[in-house]
Amino acid sequence: MNQFSQLPPQMSTFAPDVDWMYLFLFWLSVASFVAIVAVMVYFVFKYRRRPGVEAVPTGHGNTALELAWTFLPLIVLAFLFHEGFRVYVQESVPPENTVDIHVTGKQWSWEFTHSNGITETNEAKIPVHTPVRLIMSSSDVLHSFFVPDFRIKRDVVPGMYTTLWFEATALSTPERPVRVFCAEYCGALQGSTNGNDRNTNHSTMMADLHIIPQEEYATFLREGGGPPAECADAVDVNVCWGQYIYAHNGCSACHEINGEAGGHGPNWMGVFGEEIALEGGGSVTADDAYIKRSILDPSADVVSGFGNIMPPYRLRDQEIDAVIAFMRSLNAQ
Amino acid sequence: MTVEAEAEAAIPADPHHIPEGADYITHEHGLKSWLTTVDHKRIGVMYLISILLAFFAGGVFALILRTELLTPGKTIMEADTYNEMFTLHGAIMVFLFIIPSIPAALGNFFLPIMIGAKDVAFPKLNLASLYIYWIGAIFTLIAIVAGHIDTGWTFYTPYSMRGDNSAVWMTIGVFILGFSSILTGLNFIATVHKMRSPGMHWRRLPLFIWGIYATAVIQVLATPVLAITLLLLATEKIVGIGIFDPALGGDPVLFQHFFWFYSHPAVYIMILPGMAIVSEVIACFSRRKVFGYMFIAMSSVALALLGFLVWGHHMFVSGQSEYATMVFSALTFLVAIPSGVKIFNWLATLYQGSISLESPMLYSLAFIALFTIGGLTGLFLGTLSTDIHLHDTYFVVAHFHYVMVGGTVFGFLSGLHYWWPKITGRLYDERWARVAFVLVFIGFNVTFFSQFILGSRGMPRRYYSYLDQFQPLHMTSSGGAYIIGVGFVVMAIMFAKSLKSGAKAGRNPWGSAGYEWPHPHNFAEQPVFTRGPYDYHLATERELFTGTDEEWDAHMAKKGEA
Ligand code: HEC
Ligand SMILES: [Cu+2]
Ligand SMILES: [Cu+2]
Repeated sequence: MNQFSQLPPQMSTFAPDVDWMYLFLFWLSVASFVAIVAVMVYFVFKYRRRPGVEAVPTGHGNTALELAWTFLPLIVLAFLFHEGFRVYVQESVPPENTVDIHVTGKQWSWEFTHSNGITETNEAKIPVHTPVRLIMSSSDVLHSFFVPDFRIKRDVVPGMYTTLWFEATALSTPERPVRVFCAEYCGALQGSTNGNDRNTNHSTMMADLHIIPQEEYATFLREGGGPPAECADAVDVNVCWGQYIYAHNGCSACHEINGEAGGHGPNWMGVFGEEIALEGGGSVTADDAYIKRSILDPSADVVSGFGNIMPPYRLRDQEIDAVIAFMRSLNAQ
Repeated sequence: MTVEAEAEAAIPADPHHIPEGADYITHEHGLKSWLTTVDHKRIGVMYLISILLAFFAGGVFALILRTELLTPGKTIMEADTYNEMFTLHGAIMVFLFIIPSIPAALGNFFLPIMIGAKDVAFPKLNLASLYIYWIGAIFTLIAIVAGHIDTGWTFYTPYSMRGDNSAVWMTIGVFILGFSSILTGLNFIATVHKMRSPGMHWRRLPLFIWGIYATAVIQVLATPVLAITLLLLATEKIVGIGIFDPALGGDPVLFQHFFWFYSHPAVYIMILPGMAIVSEVIACFSRRKVFGYMFIAMSSVALALLGFLVWGHHMFVSGQSEYATMVFSALTFLVAIPSGVKIFNWLATLYQGSISLESPMLYSLAFIALFTIGGLTGLFLGTLSTDIHLHDTYFVVAHFHYVMVGGTVFGFLSGLHYWWPKITGRLYDERWARVAFVLVFIGFNVTFFSQFILGSRGMPRRYYSYLDQFQPLHMTSSGGAYIIGVGFVVMAIMFAKSLKSGAKAGRNPWGSAGYEWPHPHNFAEQPVFTRGPYDYHLATERELFTGTDEEWDAHMAKKGEA
């Protein structure tokens, strides 16, 4: 069925309803279009201009015909409206016992805060077969939370909360998470040289939803998130975790780790423990406290030569420790 | 008197009292004579040149955008430059090209002639509109380029209000353009009401005039809302009163309401004139009065009015209330009715006609097919459940290009080809016109049909970069854009050749019964209309004669001999 509709995989309870409507409209359109064009081509051929054959004057028209094609389509249109509205109502009214997740959109990343207070950036764990409600707001401009696999979308507005709910119907795989896009234009970093990198502009403002079993999500809510599964066998779990955060939370969009100059933010190699010159004079030693402050409140100390463009990141202490461990490991190399 | 003789007497058939060579283009020379003219035909031609320049610029930006989209990530430019480019493309195409295209250029030229008037009601105001358009255009372009504006043509708050004041400058530019639009609209309304010649009652009004008239009403009623919005924006930015910016206590969704309250009716400012041309052309090339004349005329008026009630369909996911969403969805479906009425009546006009397929007719028939696709895909977007998925994806981009390009631009091209001999006095090479048509038609469908598929698969719009899986479709779309580009180059050369060395056109090269044809330029004296503009069976042989005056004389001489 999807070879005609071209729709993405169905991953939510809404998807089949939406797709049914899409396909109905699709075939209705094909039928109407073919009928109209067929009539047109037939008339153009049948009544092509020939010597000695005059057009028949139109006369006074045909009121019955006019009324028919004015009012008969109303029946179809009323049906379309009704069906579309029916599904829309379901999408608008979440059931009682939802799992709530707060979402913050900001240029150009998504933050997900679970009920245990843990915040994930640009990725989120979502329990399968569970109604989930997103309570969304923006900390800067308009964004729009769009999940094609779920067929849902809603603008994320500064100064206002919007909500969205869904129920995922299948687990996702690490290779193919459920992708979130931003569908409301929100700009780009000026002079960006890596527009294809994740989370540097409107077109890469994405997040990955990992649909996990209900029990796993329950454990996560109870015990909090530790290092990701791929770090389980790492020599130094913290360094691995720090690198994971660097790659997945959008730090890599601005920070390089190769020791070379360039990029929107300071290169992380050789930073830890150094004396850092600050914008507006003065300097500070890059110790644990400084790094932590730089992440939670970047505008407090702005590194000399850089703009105050880094958004604050709500990382947990454990995660910040992991980032620090990762930064230290860069010095050792 | 027979009907025929009556018609003959009513229309001053003898044009020879106009001195040789003294047509509206050549009777005065020099730039100054053009810049100070109040002749609606010259003003129309100046508009035509202006909007064609705008179309060229907007088209070049489109090609640049499509080139950037050949690959995910950087192809030829950075993300921020890309964002400025699509803003330029959108703003130029909407505000400088489509909105003034048919009404200001072709409307100015033909509206007075078709109702038997010497000029529009306020000729000086008409010239003022043109100047205001020029000033607004220059203002807008400078603001966008100098201010690096990258908000898209919708300049949604709060994004558009961040940074320096450049958005305010651009806003003022659009505000000025809006004034030009309002003044033209007023002028046309007054002209249609007050300047019709005897015999031109409302039931005889050519459908082109009905369309332009309905458009003028929308221009006058809707454009002030745009102006108010823009003033509020400027107030917020300069004085710092919170209206739309949540940081100041404003409401960004309110801006969208304002914006679409203008911009949805603006869609009808854009499409109604295109439909109006199609009605003229279909009648002419089928040699038959348009079927359901009054229904077509009234459907224009219905669209103009309904157009004011559906703005919220752009905001189904914006956070507006569910009730509003429900009402806007229901009203939006009603818009399908008058659109359908037009299509059915056009088809019925073909029935029992005598159809020939010259280039204007090809464009008009293409309009019907493409507009049908545009309209049907509109159903996907009016239906709430499917709109949630498709909103702000390439599906929407494809949909409105089918309506705005497949509709308005094809209608405009139809009119341009149709009236070219009247405007320039010259014929063009029909073969090359058809080659251009085929290229533009195929290129258009390749470009935009692939975008329906992209959108259905979930590719959002205004994206500089995209997932690898979308690349084949993006490349197809870009390929189509290049084909369109080639088509327009062929067309430009074809028209340029016609200007330079085209054969002299007769008064009525298509043999139309329309009022605008049988006389060189305006009517020499005030006419009294005794038949409708599509009454082929009542028109005289002289009126429908397709050759030049010399050929007519030869034809009569031969007849005399026989
Ligand atoms: C939008 C670009 C951007 C992103 C994304 C970004 N940063 Fe930064 N970061 C900067 C800039 C610019 C500075 C220097 C100015 C300042 O101190 O605010 C900086 C400074 C820092 C510093 C201080 C480094 C030093 O040399 O003194 C740390 C630590 C840091 N960022 C951590 C992070 C982490 C962790 C992430 C991801 C969770 C991240 N940043 C994401 C732009 C960014
Ligand atoms: Cu965004
Ligand atoms: Cu609309």
